[in-house]
Amino acid sequence: MREHLLKVGVSGIRGVVGEFLTPSLACSFAQAFGAYVGAGRVVVGRDTRSSGPMLQHAVTCGLLASGCEVIDVGVMPTPTIQIYVSSIRARGGIALTASHNPPEYNALKLFNAQGLFFNNYERSELLDLYHQSDFRQATNAEIRRVSSDRESPARLHIERVLGHVNAEAIRRSRFRVALDSVNGAGSLMSSAFLRDTLGCELHAMSVNPELPFPRIAEPRADTLGDLSALVVQTKSQIGFAQDPDGDRLAVVDETGHVLDNDDVLALAVDAVLRRLPGDVVVNLTTSSVIDDVAARYGCRVWRTPVGEANVVETMQAARASIGGEGSNGGIIFPAVHLCRDSYTGMAFLLHRMAETGESIATLASGLPRYFRKLGTVAYAHGRLGSLMQALEENFPNIPSDRSDGLKLSLADGWIHVRASNTEPLLRLAAEARSQEQVDELYARVVHLLSNPAE
Amino acid sequence: MVSKSLRISQVGLRGIVGTGLTAGHVLDFACAFGTFLDSPGVVLLGRDPRSSGIMIREGAISALLACGHEVIDLGVAPTPVIQHAINRLDAAGGVSIGASHNASEWNALKFFGARGSYLSSAQADELLDIYHLKKFALVDWTRVGRLRQVGDAIDRYLDELASVYDFDALRRFRVVVDCCNGTSALILRRLNQIFGFSFILINEKIEGVTFAHEPSTTRDAVALQLAPLMAPLHADAGFLFDVDSDRVAMADESGAPISEEMILPLLADYLLPRGAGKLIITNFSTTALLEDIAARHGGKVLRVPVGRQAAIDALGAHRPEQIALAGEGTGAVMMPRFRFVYDGIASMLAVLSMMAERGEKLSGILSGYPKYSILKGQVPLVSQRIPALLSSLRERFPDGHATAIDGLRVVWPDRWFHVRVSQTEPIVRVICEQHGDAPRQLFETLIEQVRSFA
Repeated sequence: MREHLLKVGVSGIRGVVGEFLTPSLACSFAQAFGAYVGAGRVVVGRDTRSSGPMLQHAVTCGLLASGCEVIDVGVMPTPTIQIYVSSIRARGGIALTASHNPPEYNALKLFNAQGLFFNNYERSELLDLYHQSDFRQATNAEIRRVSSDRESPARLHIERVLGHVNAEAIRRSRFRVALDSVNGAGSLMSSAFLRDTLGCELHAMSVNPELPFPRIAEPRADTLGDLSALVVQTKSQIGFAQDPDGDRLAVVDETGHVLDNDDVLALAVDAVLRRLPGDVVVNLTTSSVIDDVAARYGCRVWRTPVGEANVVETMQAARASIGGEGSNGGIIFPAVHLCRDSYTGMAFLLHRMAETGESIATLASGLPRYFRKLGTVAYAHGRLGSLMQALEENFPNIPSDRSDGLKLSLADGWIHVRASNTEPLLRLAAEARSQEQVDELYARVVHLLSNPAE
Repeated sequence: MVSKSLRISQVGLRGIVGTGLTAGHVLDFACAFGTFLDSPGVVLLGRDPRSSGIMIREGAISALLACGHEVIDLGVAPTPVIQHAINRLDAAGGVSIGASHNASEWNALKFFGARGSYLSSAQADELLDIYHLKKFALVDWTRVGRLRQVGDAIDRYLDELASVYDFDALRRFRVVVDCCNGTSALILRRLNQIFGFSFILINEKIEGVTFAHEPSTTRDAVALQLAPLMAPLHADAGFLFDVDSDRVAMADESGAPISEEMILPLLADYLLPRGAGKLIITNFSTTALLEDIAARHGGKVLRVPVGRQAAIDALGAHRPEQIALAGEGTGAVMMPRFRFVYDGIASMLAVLSMMAERGEKLSGILSGYPKYSILKGQVPLVSQRIPALLSSLRERFPDGHATAIDGLRVVWPDRWFHVRVSQTEPIVRVICEQHGDAPRQLFETLIEQVRSFA
């Protein structure tokens, strides 16, 4: 399997800018999108990547050529764009962002009139239209204009978030908060949200949208050393880290420790279910801590294949109260919007701290303790089926889930093995009650995968 | 014959937006231009007010940024202003988006090199090769260009005009201008505001879809709205510009619409005695009055095939100081003082300067020239029969002096005709001119003979 620097697929197009993700490709994809959603208003925004303006002009060109009117929101977090699309009843939206991917990448994220990621049916219809290349071509009299709205998207988003937390209590607490927006789309909006809206004493780093990403874009324990140091140095009570398009959230406690993203999701689930009991939807790789928290309130947990779109689709079907994907820092709270939203996450955690008077480390320590292990194993092309089959047979009488790779749920832990979409790798995630148990389970599976029976 | 409006040639690309010229063509051709120019460079961009220009602008910006260029957007701007700004800002080149004298559903892209000059045939051919090869020099994410706006391009252009013409002498004229809803209004309003001119503007509202009338700079277009206003408004002269202001037509103070053929001889009469340059470059279809005027001032006329490209190449084959002016019988004139750029505004000011210096009315100046009458017609063509048509015409008129470089031109001492194939439409153009009265009989004979081959 070769590495592909461009992927045109059901989730849109993503690729390395330059020879791969070209302006022509972005333009014609946007023209297909415009033809699909129809000649009406389409919202276009982007994160802070250097290729953003170039691609935004290409996408705007394609949308105008299909007869759409373009509303340019400029640099804006992805959840903010999604909420704006639904608020103004646009035909759809396009965000130019490669989310947590490195800066050489960019992508078109596509939203329908509800501001949701295209579902499977919409995605394949759009792709057919794109491949057919028989786009609607607007004539001079049909070409509409570009207008811009840089103010109301953030306001609409924040208003919705504030409807679900006690902002007054947060303001009264005058929290000392550290922030690392990776110079991304959240830079200005998060600063204003935490400092001005929630009255925090803010210590911000990497909040200049003009500058490149100063760290690996994905907010993880191993990429947030500077934020941890900032928390300790400024004696902040909590630290927040975003990815470049502001949908993912990572959290640092007051000791400078980066919380496990599954625990962050669990705290958000707890905050929601105590006031709004209902179903919870997470992916197969998310920690069992979610089941424990849901059990406190007698709520049901649904598991889906990995991917925001999968979680969102099940959340819609189950009318879930909350959902998300633990490993990647995604909190989805449908009462604000059915999208990953770091702002909802920040607000919930500050709300819980204000409500309980407890520190974030204390709140996290109240969660059941699990030990996790993540990793990858390379596999030979064509061997995937037999590897999975051998693995399943090696764990007889163990409940298994084949909806996304293979998940084996043992009495005191689980392991999830799935193939990467982009590389010839198996992604492994294991969890157990003790370090020894998880190490043993993980080692057993790695051994089986690395030494397949011929 | 299949009729497609798209034409991609040495002078750029043009077509009816939607059915001929599409976003895909714009992206690819602008990428080719971005590849053609040395990267990174500064590239200027402006457009005429057609609605489709909004779409084309987005695509051109995207492509140029993707090739690593810094793009300066002048917004809605006359073509000569764009060319002036390229020179002033020492840019690598520029793009003018606008279909000049064509109806509103058309649009086109014209490409300029350093100093705002038109591309030579060698350069234009290289650009076309890059376009057809579609291997574009797209840069990686660290070198993607940035966009900025420049708002003073028209004022800086006016500074140059003010340094060439005696504005104090010209201000006193009462001049009516038909802007045909195009970019000339932007310049003329500033001349009124800053320099105290009193241009009376009609059709001055910038329009994207509906022009007051066909924007061609012909005597017929002048007769529509402009000429009838001359006497009632007691105007000294009237001018009509095409949408991007590179061509001009005129009416005299009595309200007579003047033939579009007259601009070039008039300016030749003005410029020949003023400079060292004695050569007039024009095409085979332009009035023979030029030879008379050249003879008065010891000048010489060089005739080349119709179309801007042939004139550009003829200019390139001479030293600039040899040339008095270049142009065609469409109201498009290039002057050395303005870097050989088709400039309707500069042409108008030259005509007014002539009136001021001679202290004569426009009709008075024109009455000093020998009278010629020109007839122009067109017949649909069958491409395969063109050579037979031309040789039959040559046999029919053996006594004249024949030139067969661009169709067939036959010259007698007091009259001439030119039969050629249009570069822009599937038609044969028939033009004949005679000293004194119109050569009706010759014209009818020609049309009849051409028709017999259709």
